[in-house]
Formats: sequence, structure tokens, C-alpha cells
Amino acid sequence: MTALVIEGLEKVYTDAYSGEEVVAIGDVSFTVEQGEFVSVLGPSGCGKTTVLNAVAGFVDPTGGEVRVDGHEVRGPGPDRGVVFQSHALFPWKTVLGNVTFGLRVQGIRRREREERGREFLELVGLDGFERRYPHELSGGMQQRLGVARVLTNEPAVMLMDEPFASIDAQTRRRLQEDLTRIFEKRRPTVFFVTHDIDEAVFLSDRIVVLSHRPSSVQEIVPVDLPRPRTWRAAVDAPAFRDTVARINDLLRVDEDPEAGEPEPAGGGAGA
Amino acid sequence: MTPGPAGSAVRGAARPGGARPRSGRTGGRARALFRFLLPLAVLTALWALVVEVTGVPMRVFPQVTDVAAAIRDMALSGELVQHLGASLRRVLIGSVIAIGTALPFGIALGASRALSAFFSPLLRFSVALAGIAWIPIATLWIGYGDGAVIFIVWNAMFFALAYNTMLGVRRIPTSLLRSARSLGAGRWRMFWEVLLPGAMPSIVSGLRVGLGYGWRGLVAAEIIATSAGLGYALFLAQSTFSTDVIIASMVIIGVLWLLTDRLLLAPLERNTVERWGMAGGER
Repeated sequence: MTALVIEGLEKVYTDAYSGEEVVAIGDVSFTVEQGEFVSVLGPSGCGKTTVLNAVAGFVDPTGGEVRVDGHEVRGPGPDRGVVFQSHALFPWKTVLGNVTFGLRVQGIRRREREERGREFLELVGLDGFERRYPHELSGGMQQRLGVARVLTNEPAVMLMDEPFASIDAQTRRRLQEDLTRIFEKRRPTVFFVTHDIDEAVFLSDRIVVLSHRPSSVQEIVPVDLPRPRTWRAAVDAPAFRDTVARINDLLRVDEDPEAGEPEPAGGGAGA
Repeated sequence: MTPGPAGSAVRGAARPGGARPRSGRTGGRARALFRFLLPLAVLTALWALVVEVTGVPMRVFPQVTDVAAAIRDMALSGELVQHLGASLRRVLIGSVIAIGTALPFGIALGASRALSAFFSPLLRFSVALAGIAWIPIATLWIGYGDGAVIFIVWNAMFFALAYNTMLGVRRIPTSLLRSARSLGAGRWRMFWEVLLPGAMPSIVSGLRVGLGYGWRGLVAAEIIATSAGLGYALFLAQSTFSTDVIIASMVIIGVLWLLTDRLLLAPLERNTVERWGMAGGER
């Protein structure tokens, strides 16, 4: 079954300074199946995050449609949980308070929501930290808590906006393996935005490669790596290296015509 | 997940579920109290010394012991309790109303661009007028007595508190608001569980500023509009040239403010922004 449908998505901004119209997303269409892990890759400033924000309901597209489980997206909702680059945890809530927030909104009784919260904390390796506050956790733990907070809510799709971009390289690898393990165990539907090709290939079932602005889907690349995946196995696998090389080519081919020209400013669409 | 050596991954002294480090807390408290009292003791000693050496008449500046005696007399005659009770009651009622009105108003302004665009100039206009400048009209409207004083306390606090609350809401990171909405939070829950605690660092500083204004407003209003309270005691003492009572009342007002800060604001700050790691603009 198809969890997420993006059809002819278009987003035109009016630049606040010049008053000019900027086409951030030209025409983007793709789908994500239930239990599938799909990443969106593209050159900086290509509007990947804008696509995610449109799915999350944070921005209204100027054209096209986003459907989640058959329903058209209008504004944010609990069927689309978001993991942000800045962890976006509630500093005033404990670890348990953060992870059970969504269940509280749903009106689920304390005993049940704490039980479910603990289950997901254990899944991300944060059991024993229930009573701590987010600022007492390391960056990696904060991101894992962000993942647990979304998964506890059991959304139709988990949206991840470069969640590991501000984490140091070593921890990032660990977190990617952790996420893979969680994904393989629970099979949530994941829509993942990144600019890191290795990361996208390692995590995903399919990768949507976007072109420069005004962005459209340049190609959808399937990843033929067996699961369960580990970095140790991935780096030696020809399929991993071939896919990385292929996407590298795709992104480079796209950049060539613009060689020598300045990069488009990432500001507006990337925010 | 591979938690590994979980403890080492946590900042600070980390034991899962454990309490925050408590070692040396009583010693730290005593030292903090000492550091707090030292400047006050030095000031008092200086005062005693200057009066002693210069020999200024008591009418101009009474000796420390005279003021202490005045406070003792006020306590014994029951005046102290009467004035203190009247003032504290007014401050309490005034600030509860101010908090109850300024926080929702400030949060609404912080959350809505249209509202804040409309009210911001009015808010800035009112800041200069808040409190004391309203005493004449308050007494005209409400008459002399508790009502006018409470109105002044409320008025003195309201604008600082509302303005700070608005700023606090605006400083909440967008991603945090978005994540709350994506978890399904409705208006009511956004207000209580996201905007209010999220604005807490600013609210605490607004309370500190606002309560200070409130106290000043109280004293001024009591001088003019009532027949009880510390401000009235000041006024009465001036008319009888009882400089010792004037200084005594001033000391009491100052001490009350210090106690408010130490017993109310500091614990509030400790249990919210500091505990949540939101102090000092990090995050």
C-alpha cells in the first residue's frame, strides 16, 4: 500500500527583499510505500527541505498535492511525525515526558502511555534515562529521543530532516546503524532528507535525486543492499559503491552546466 | 540500540535516573548566604561608623541602633504587623491579577503577528506611564483605599510582564513549535505545555522587573491613597519628623524585596529554566 503520494508539487516564494518570485520546487512527484525507507537527495538549495515541509504541512504548496494514507495534507498532524536537525525536544519535559507527549494529546491514560513510552525508549537505547531532561543528554541521545518521540505516536510516515547533520562523524555512523536497526525491526515508513550520499545509500530502499532549482525529480535510484545492514558490510559491498558512484555522477552532471557560476543561495528554500 | 557505556555518553555527572549531584550542597548554601549577607553587613557597619564619627543629629540620620529600636517599637505596638499585613496583601493580590492577565496577553501577542503589530506601540507607550503616573486617576476612579493601591500594583507590573512574555514566546525555536503541532497538540495544549514553559526564561526576568515595579508602585500609592501599609508608615513618620521610623520603613521594604527574590524568584528560576537547561541563552 502507498503511504505517501506527492503529485506535481510546486512551491513559488515571493522574495521578501526583491519582491521577485522564486520557484523553489518546479514539479516534484514520487510515492513512498508503506514500510519503505525513501531518501531525498539533491544539491544544496534545491528545495529538499521544502518538499519535506510541504509533506509535514508546515508550508502550503502553490501547486500539486500531497496525500498521506489517501488524505490530502492540510497543516501539520500526528500522522506525520517529524525528526528535526535541531532535536526540537521540549527542554521542560523529561525524557519520558517528551516521548509520551503525542500519546497524551491523544488522551491515552497515563499507565498505558508510559508503558508504550518505555517500550520505545528501550528500542532506541534510552531506558534508564526516563527522568532526565534533554539538556542532560548527549547530541546522539537527543536525536534518538527525537526518533522515539515520533515512533511512539505511530505515524503513517516519519519525516526526517537531515537529523544527523550536526552530529560528529563517528557518532553519526552509530546513529545511522541504530536507525537502520530500528527500521528493520519496526518497519515504519520513512521519508528522509539529506545531502550526504553515503548516508542516503546506506539507509534507503530508494533514493529520489532532485535537480537544481526549480527542482524536479531527476531520477529515482533503487538501493540493492540486503538487510540487515551494517557499515562494515556496506563499505565492502559492490552494490553500495556502485550506487554511491551513480548518484555522484547524477549530481555532478547536473552541476556541470552551471560550472563557474555561483551556487544558488540556499537560504529561502532551505529554511 | 547499542547503548555502549551509557553513562559516559551523558554530559555532566550522569547516572541513569539518578539525582543531580548533591555533594557539598549545605556547605555551598552557607557560603552563598555569607556572600549574600556580607555586603549588607559592610553597609550597616559603614553607616554606624559615619554617623558615629560625624555626629549628625538623629533628625537627619539616626544611628543603626535607633532604627533597630524603631523597628522593635513598631513590632511591639502592633503597627508593624498592621502595615506589613496591609502591604503584603495588596502586593499579593495585585501581582496575582497581574500574572493572571499579563501572561495570557503576552502569550497571545507572541503567538499572533497581527495582535502584536496592533498592541506593540500601545505597550511601548504604556511602559513609561506604568504604575505611579496612574495614581491620580486611580484614586479618582476607585477612590482612596485598597482598590486603588491594588490597581497601581497591577498596572505597574502588567506591561513589563506582558512585554517579556511576548518576547519569550517569540524566542521559542520554530522547530519546537512545529514538532508540537506534528505531535497533534491543539491550541490549549500549545498554550500550557509549549508556549508558557517555552517563554519561561523571559517570564522569570519579566517577573523580576515587574515585581520591582510593583513594589515601588505600592509604596507610592500607599503614601497617597491609604491609611495603612508601609508607604503610609513612611508618610506618617515624615509628618512627625521621625527619621528613625522613615529609615526603619525603608529597611523593611528593602528586606521584603530581598526575601521575595530569594524565597520566590530564585527557587522559581532553579526549578524551571535552570533545571531545564534553558538558562543563559543556550539551547
